Amino acid sequence: MHELSLAQSLIDQLLELAREHQAERINRVLVTLGPFSGIVRDSFEFGFNVLKESHDVTRKAVLELETPDPVYVCLDCEKVAVIPFATPNDQMETRSGYPYPKKCPWCCLTRLSPKGGTELILNQVEME
Amino acid sequence: MCDTCGCQLHHHHHADPKIVEVNQSLLAANQKQAESNRHHIEQMGAVAINLISSPGSGKTTLLERTIEILKDTFKIGVIEGDIETERDADRIRAKGVPAVQLTTGGACHLDAPIVHGGLHVLEHLAKGGKYDLIFIENVGNLVCPATFDLGEHQRVILLSVPEGSDKPVKYPATFRSADLMLITKTDLVPYFDFSMDEATKEAGILKPGLEILPLSATTGDGFERWIAYLHGLLKR
Ligand SMILES: Nc1nc2c(ncn2[C@@H]2O[C@H](COP(=O)(O)OP(=O)(O)OP(=O)(O)O)[C@@H](O)[C@H]2O)c(=O)[nH]1
Ligand SMILES: [Mg+2]
Ligand SMILES: [Zn+2]
Repeated sequence: MHELSLAQSLIDQLLELAREHQAERINRVLVTLGPFSGIVRDSFEFGFNVLKESHDVTRKAVLELETPDPVYVCLDCEKVAVIPFATPNDQMETRSGYPYPKKCPWCCLTRLSPKGGTELILNQVEME
Repeated sequence: MCDTCGCQLHHHHHADPKIVEVNQSLLAANQKQAESNRHHIEQMGAVAINLISSPGSGKTTLLERTIEILKDTFKIGVIEGDIETERDADRIRAKGVPAVQLTTGGACHLDAPIVHGGLHVLEHLAKGGKYDLIFIENVGNLVCPATFDLGEHQRVILLSVPEGSDKPVKYPATFRSADLMLITKTDLVPYFDFSMDEATKEAGILKPGLEILPLSATTGDGFERWIAYLHGLLKR
């Protein structure tokens, strides 16, 4: 549940920005959540929506979370591939007993190593 | 200001919304404190290791045995992170080494500001404030601690045999962040369906080149390589 402390640091940062720009309220907050950040999107969103209620400045703020598609490097052919997360309809292969839909689009082998994608970035804030 | 209704003086219209580009990591504050901790640790003459694992994977037991082997060679200090109690710090103190217990009061991970406080206490506990090795035992949790740099030089992830060899695939963010992976409690391999092959293969896909050492604190098997790794860190 570190999502809650991360949501708290977002709120803190927003309060600071509002002070700095002499804004009375924050309307919209754009955050990028990396696909391999290890941060659960729903928990982060839930935490934000609970915590924003404690301040007049953030009460009306809408959080827009964006997650870029995951990028992998194939350890067999060394090519880079962008492979969106599986949807429930996708055909799953199982590896180690877990659904594992990923296969290198170039060589079809499965040794795909995640590349980057660990970021949690506050991009843009709309305030007035 | 407001053209739509022609009223220029009234308060009931807000100023135009303003868009501010921030483009900064939400972890920036923690990261800044972590860099300062790293500097602080180096001023103390030490190399710091952040130990991360699920509850009960053997972090404190590993430290007890490591201290027995190395305490006459190196000046060791330990920072213990737990949700409650001084128990782990007491176990370390019983081995004759300074230990600071940090209790997070519910939080599931240590962060850089909490560790900063711990470093000051550790400094106070040693004559001259100098150390060679500082171990930071994180709160038992395989998920949350991985996000927070504490200012360590090396991050060591422990995976114990009873937990199962599927943990790297299930907790990829944590294993990707490791500098070294220890497979602990290898004396229990005969009693569990742990596949050394699966664990090492999957961890190697997540983080190519990751060093993996199997060991048992009960029998001492594998400790030579772990101790050699620690000696290696201090030679740098
Ligand atoms: N068989 C076996 N048991 C071990 C080994 N290392 C630790 N244990 C046992 O595992 C249990 C948990 O060990 P700890 O060292 O307290 O684990 P920990 O990771 O510090 O636990 P938390 O701080 O609560 O997260 C204890 O009962 C230990 O005796 C080992 O190498 N082999
Ligand atoms: Mg412990
Ligand atoms: Zn390939």
